[in-house]
Amino acid sequence: MSAVGLIARDEIRLMTRNRVAIIAFVLVVLLTLVAVASSWAHQRGIAELRARQAEAAETAFKAQPDRHPHRVVHYGTFIFRPLGPLAAFDPGVDAFTGNSMFLEGHRQNSANFGDVRQSSLLVRFGQLTPAFVLQVVAPLLLIFLGYGALARETERGTVRVLMLQGAARGQIVRGKLLALGAAALLAGLPAMIGLVAIAGQPGALVWPMLVLALGYIGYLALWTVLILLVSASVRRSRDALLALVAVWAVAVVLLPRVAPDLASAAIPLTNRLQTEVAVARDLRTMGDSHNPDDPHFAQFKQALLARYGVAKVEDLPINYKGALGIEGERLTSAVYGRYATANHAAQARQNSLVDAMGLLSPAIALRSLSMAAAGTDLAGHQRFLEQAEAYRYALVQRLNRMQMEDVSYADDGATDAGADRRKRVSARNWQAMPDFRFIAPDGRTLAAAALPGLAIVFAWLAGALILLMVASRRLGAR
Amino acid sequence: MGLFRYEFRLLLRQRLTVGALALLALLTVAALAMGMAEVARQRAAIAAIPAAQAEDIGAIADYVDRTKDAGSAAYYSFHPTWDAPAPLAFAALGMRDVAPYILRVRTLGLEAQIYDGDTFNPELALPGRFDFAFVLVFLAPLFVIALFHDLRSAEREAGRQRMLDALPNGGRALWRRRTLLRFLLTWSALGIPFGIAAAFAGVGVASILIVLAVVAAYLLFWVALAALIGRLRWSSVANAAALAAAWLVLVLIVPTLCNVAINAAIPVNQGAEIAMAQREAVNGAWDVPREATMRRFYARHPEWADSAPLGPEFHYKWYLAFHENGDESVAPAVRAYRQGLEARDAAGRALGWVLPSVGVQALLTRIAHTDLTAQLAYQDRIRAFHQRLRTFYYGYLFRDRPFGRTDFDRAPRFDDRDRG
Amino acid sequence: MFIAEDLIRPMTEPILIDDLTFAYDTHDVLNGLSLRVPAGSITALLGGNGAGKSTTLSTLLGFTRARSGTVEVCGMNPATDPDAVRRRIAYLPENVALYEHLTAVENADYLLALSGERQGHDAITAALAAAGLQDQAWHQRLGGFSKGMRQKVAIAVALLRQVPVLLLDEPTSGLDPRATADFSQLLLQVRERGTAILMVTHDLLSAADIADRIAFLEAGRVAHEVRADGPERFDVRALHARFQLGGDRLAA
Repeated sequence: MSAVGLIARDEIRLMTRNRVAIIAFVLVVLLTLVAVASSWAHQRGIAELRARQAEAAETAFKAQPDRHPHRVVHYGTFIFRPLGPLAAFDPGVDAFTGNSMFLEGHRQNSANFGDVRQSSLLVRFGQLTPAFVLQVVAPLLLIFLGYGALARETERGTVRVLMLQGAARGQIVRGKLLALGAAALLAGLPAMIGLVAIAGQPGALVWPMLVLALGYIGYLALWTVLILLVSASVRRSRDALLALVAVWAVAVVLLPRVAPDLASAAIPLTNRLQTEVAVARDLRTMGDSHNPDDPHFAQFKQALLARYGVAKVEDLPINYKGALGIEGERLTSAVYGRYATANHAAQARQNSLVDAMGLLSPAIALRSLSMAAAGTDLAGHQRFLEQAEAYRYALVQRLNRMQMEDVSYADDGATDAGADRRKRVSARNWQAMPDFRFIAPDGRTLAAAALPGLAIVFAWLAGALILLMVASRRLGAR
Repeated sequence: MGLFRYEFRLLLRQRLTVGALALLALLTVAALAMGMAEVARQRAAIAAIPAAQAEDIGAIADYVDRTKDAGSAAYYSFHPTWDAPAPLAFAALGMRDVAPYILRVRTLGLEAQIYDGDTFNPELALPGRFDFAFVLVFLAPLFVIALFHDLRSAEREAGRQRMLDALPNGGRALWRRRTLLRFLLTWSALGIPFGIAAAFAGVGVASILIVLAVVAAYLLFWVALAALIGRLRWSSVANAAALAAAWLVLVLIVPTLCNVAINAAIPVNQGAEIAMAQREAVNGAWDVPREATMRRFYARHPEWADSAPLGPEFHYKWYLAFHENGDESVAPAVRAYRQGLEARDAAGRALGWVLPSVGVQALLTRIAHTDLTAQLAYQDRIRAFHQRLRTFYYGYLFRDRPFGRTDFDRAPRFDDRDRG
Repeated sequence: MFIAEDLIRPMTEPILIDDLTFAYDTHDVLNGLSLRVPAGSITALLGGNGAGKSTTLSTLLGFTRARSGTVEVCGMNPATDPDAVRRRIAYLPENVALYEHLTAVENADYLLALSGERQGHDAITAALAAAGLQDQAWHQRLGGFSKGMRQKVAIAVALLRQVPVLLLDEPTSGLDPRATADFSQLLLQVRERGTAILMVTHDLLSAADIADRIAFLEAGRVAHEVRADGPERFDVRALHARFQLGGDRLAA
């Protein structure tokens, strides 16, 4: 057996003889299994619940009686954000975003009923998911297993004994790397098996799964190298342990919290009240459909009359109120859309600020990589919001067109006893409405979104390896 | 006291200790500053309400004043409510980042409005806030571990313990003194910046003292744990590893495990179901004879029963009546939903009795009025205010009184001070 | 102050051990040990590994309690009154470990403060000088000190505390001949002040070099006791033969 292999075997033998290490290792594996099981059950439960609720909402929509189309604009519809299979591995922001939305005319409502407002305060301590175990707990386990790998040998002087037996510095370090790397692989294995099991549909999500696996392997490899780097650089194993726990606390616990706070202070978001007031202001300046003298709508009316070659709205072959509804919705949607885009852009800027801090903490980079690949990051939520808005707009405009074409202007304004009956359109129309179907992004899109995080993790790994090479040259010198 | 000075001088010469204490103080100051900046932002947002609101209502008043239609006034007017941060909110921001502290409501069905959220970036909310509570609950124990894990084992490993024990005043008194000194310094690193910030923020003396006591108790828990593990006479490095593992389990793993357990054990009927049921009730009213709607409404509001009967044309009093009926129809579900939330919250806080990390977080957010209880209290204030809005507009609609520009000023105003 | 009184009242035998027995579980460590150390004398307790040297020191310091027999330090029982006894004892462990990040003066100052016997800066430097520590080392951190230098600091503290009893655990192990000679000189100085000095050691040569009396510890009791005879002190060759003989006889 080569010197590297011998050293690795000796290190592994030491780990297996350390009862505390074995217990810690077994506990982490158990924790991973519990996390995989509970997270998977949770994701499936949520996915089924939302599918059921979405079906109930669709059924209710289609079961509407004959109605005036504008009633249906306000009856609106509820849609639910489906949860992809990889959310069982990393649910990301799912608990923090509302997962149901009420879609209606003239308004863009918020997504409501996120888990974070429906759970006890414990939800803010973190969520037990495979991603959490690998991101937070596994590095600490590796620190416990490996802090002494080189510091212990230096402290006891055995590193010189090894070198006198003909082992080169590089061989010693490679042997230790091999041993701790094996432990890291073993620690990450249950989560990886869980990932494969969770992903379910083979082939469909191959790219994001590959990126996820690569990212986590890179992350654990980075910790393995970091641990040996610190262990090689200090003289006492206690100092190695304290320094590593400090590095872990800063990189995994502190910076991921500080970065978002800095980002939200640097790029403030406009709150809903101010947005709504601004939207109302913009709409007033663009055109006020309530104001009979409003220049925009006066012009709109004139253009319409000219197009049909008539003098009065009563003579139009279409229902003027429906046409007005279409124009009004067009305007409000454009304004709301502008503010929503600005808001999304501000949030994206906040996130890129946090991502930039991934240069300081690989845990931040890995987290954003992981959520991006799983499709559970902010971009995933915004994808839902955009599709929801597109669906809402199409739905409302279909209803407005229905009012324009199927309800006569005379009936629409009438208040006689039978008028209510004549204004309604057939219930068959509701059944013909398309349902909301969230179009999930394809694997390549998700994987591509995760690449920047992956690059940062591997840049860290490369940097740590170089430093380890430098540090190992001084091994045994003191 | 003289001996304390000696121990203090001895401690000042230890780079690790001094560095750790300085870092803890620095982190505390940073967390306090961030918390205060966030609270200041929230206060500024609340202070900006009247100007924005005046503009918005002014435009509606222009429009409504032409028709003097109280129904349009009720339909188009959004009335602001807000939940001003309590003086101590800066120390424990709690749920204030994910739950709205400003919410506008109109006199339509409240159940379709009260669960709305404000704009926030979920990816920023995910890891939690960097506030004083975080520094105390998550970080302070790590500093206690760094300062206390080798209190005795370092003396033993350096070969000094026997000599120190042989000194007339060595032994237990010495360890007590050193423990007390380190504890007091750690406590000061957290407590002094907090005390100054809290006094600056106008927090009451009683609250400050309670928080300081909570800080001391939490630190003492970790000091005691370190002392307990120290008694096993393991090496410094074994002590540090054992304490860090204990931290991981007590602060991260058990709370997350319990979160899963609580959410599984206490199912909460989804809020979305309430919203859907309410919508069915409200929209179904268009297909129900109006008289039935009004009968149901008057049964609850006999004071308006003598209002003029409805004609064939649309009347807002009917519209608002079925909105209120809609709220009424989901009231049992709303109560069950709230009870579910309270049960989950209570279970989480009950865990605080056995898990100091959770207990401290629960206690701080309670004193700071940033927990679920405070959120629900805010919702209660919104409900009470909404009731006043209804009574106000009903007074015009059911008596067919005109609603002019000056009537906008008579609308009830939300008062944040009447906390329940 | 207690110490001053002790010095005024002549204490002829500050260390008095009579028929001491001690056992760990069923294993006898001390078995009828008797030993007296008069004031102003140096006694070496000589024995091999496991003979009971450390246990004897622990008993005198009040760390362990004897099963039977009498132990008195300045007329007091260490088991029942450890603090009073420790106020009268200075103890130098085998490896004198002090605070490496403090200077010699600071170490002395801190240890004196811990004992509740603070002294001025001048007194400390005077004691360090008396203990033979060169003045350039007074304000240096202890990190780079040799064992001999550390012992000098510890002896200086003992001098300043003016204790009637000095206990030494293997004081000469690891010292080079020059440092051993220095140390012997220092101990003689301490003896001149009337201090009762007990050193435990396994090194016959250094014991013979320093001590006034040598007690041979075998199987938990003092098997022989010899005194120095005039200026020639001990006949080391004869002692060595006797020491070996004792061991053989025991083995037989």
